[in-house]
Amino acid sequence: MYRYDEFDAQIVKERVDQFRSQVERRLSGDILEDEFKPLRLQNGVYLQLHAYMLRVAIPYGQLNAARMRKLAKIARDYDRGYGHMTTRQNIQYNWVALKDIPDVLEELAEVEMHAIQTSGNCIRNVTSDHFAGATQDEIMDPRPWCEIIRQWSTFHPEFAFLPRKFKIAVTAAEHDRAAIRVHDIGLHMRERDGVVGFEVHVGGGQGRTPIIAAMVNEFVPESEILDYLEAIMRVYNRFGRRDNKYKARIKILVTETGPEEFTRLVEAEYAAQQASEKIGLPQAEIDRINAYFAPPAFEDKSATSDAFERAKTADPAFANWAKINLHPHKVPGYTSVTTSLKPIGGLAGDATDAQMMVMAHLAERYGFDDIRVTHAQNVVLPHIALDDLYEVYRELAAAGLATANESLITDMIVCPGLDYCNLANARSIPVGQEIQKVFSDPAYEQDIGRLHINISGCINACGHHHVGHIGILGVDRKGEEYYQISLGGRADEKAAVGQIIGKALRHEEVPGAVKTIVDTYRDLRTSTDEKFIDAVERLGVEPFQEAIYAS
Amino acid sequence: MTSVRPKLKPDTPKTVTAWETASGNVVWLRADLTWTQDVSEIGVFTGDAAEAALEQAKTQEGTITDPYFMEVTEDGQVAGRETLRESIRANGPTVPYGVII
Repeated sequence: MYRYDEFDAQIVKERVDQFRSQVERRLSGDILEDEFKPLRLQNGVYLQLHAYMLRVAIPYGQLNAARMRKLAKIARDYDRGYGHMTTRQNIQYNWVALKDIPDVLEELAEVEMHAIQTSGNCIRNVTSDHFAGATQDEIMDPRPWCEIIRQWSTFHPEFAFLPRKFKIAVTAAEHDRAAIRVHDIGLHMRERDGVVGFEVHVGGGQGRTPIIAAMVNEFVPESEILDYLEAIMRVYNRFGRRDNKYKARIKILVTETGPEEFTRLVEAEYAAQQASEKIGLPQAEIDRINAYFAPPAFEDKSATSDAFERAKTADPAFANWAKINLHPHKVPGYTSVTTSLKPIGGLAGDATDAQMMVMAHLAERYGFDDIRVTHAQNVVLPHIALDDLYEVYRELAAAGLATANESLITDMIVCPGLDYCNLANARSIPVGQEIQKVFSDPAYEQDIGRLHINISGCINACGHHHVGHIGILGVDRKGEEYYQISLGGRADEKAAVGQIIGKALRHEEVPGAVKTIVDTYRDLRTSTDEKFIDAVERLGVEPFQEAIYAS
Repeated sequence: MTSVRPKLKPDTPKTVTAWETASGNVVWLRADLTWTQDVSEIGVFTGDAAEAALEQAKTQEGTITDPYFMEVTEDGQVAGRETLRESIRANGPTVPYGVII
């Protein structure tokens, strides 16, 4: 977990004071919205459909109990009793009053949190694998490098006014849970001859122009990575388009320049920096940050737990949940728990203040004070002993947090859509809820297996529809909600953009269409071992198109 | 960035809507050019009166933010191609929120 030093604490405090003054001037009418907007956006404050929305940064999705309790308190005292976990591992409050936001930021600063660089054309919150530091399939813990990149990118004066926003993701696991190939920069940690380094992907993104990132360097040693990132940012800052906001992301620069020429520009910039202004991060500093992320004091345990096995036998619902919502831990006798924020009929990613308090308590009591927000809008308790799992489950279940659906069809990524968002063309949340109802029978859902549905209410793609196995995009047709369906997208190490399968459907047609797609898959799969996405890749979209549109 | 707002013809019935700056609450203009948070109290304007109402609203951009025309029927019901958006904006999300399922 990161820690603030005295300078961090001071600079965040000063930022709160500065924003308080700016809000006071706005409320008194000394400055108007046109002048105030860039100031509020630099502090994570948007004006949405109904009210202001405050986006709070959760660095690489990691929280502890004190921070989660503070988020709960803010939900209770300043909002309407809930918060919304986002695909960038942050939290958003939907109803906070502008006059209260300086107080909210002051409360956040008390627990070393803020809303800086959660909006605007700057480097945003660095995201990562939500199982980082716990999962068996990582070669190392990527969080120290997330933190180093966070420190480097926070208040970096050269990159405060980029052509557009900029998102960086880091993973160290072979299976990419951080969607690095649809980020402006995606870093995959590698080890080569005993040296830690990064495979560097640049120019991925979604929005109206979905592009899978190009790999520009197979291996940049860790000692060089900040210099390399700086070279990429400088090339982007210099050549990125500022004449058209829809062509301003680095993905357009990489595409228009060509990955080879873009790489050449980066390498030239990198070489020039080496000669004159090398960052050269000292090993002592890397070691200091690494120490923040030292593994907790795990006990020596057997890989199996009698208490866990007994509880599974006694409580079938627990056994079912444990089959679906656990992820293998690198330490014997421990597991990572996904706390689903996708109950059937719920609002994807929302957690009430009471639920946040429960998660904080469980993390503190059973989970080494560690909590993660996932990019799929769930919450993970990464380090739970199998011996304690049943107690954890029972408390989660009592709080409505034990839906057994991690990575199943009802575990959808859903943007706020037209129910909240000023940009949206169509609602997302009700569509997700209606689809959930179709698949609410656990036996049916589990027979379908791993399947990611992602729903966006507009082309900005906050719901990551392009990379959903089934993607659903809300569009406006003369004031009516229609939905375009795509198939075959994926956000992992085989990242791909989904293919639109036909004309957009009316709102009420969508759940039935999804069921048709799913049942077509069940009819055509080679066996229950063939996952939906693999079947789509094998079959192409035609059988699904025919099933929906032929009749 | 906000969504693209349709241009309304002069004779189309409309009101002026905005956000109250301090709270962020949605507000509409009454017929007497005062602000209300109750959508049933909105004033309906056309032609020069509508333009004057919007201009007057723009002079109040300390207390309110980003005023714009919203299409309504002659009796003050939300209308036009933005009906769904403006209805949600007036009545809140179409899904219950802040509850434990």
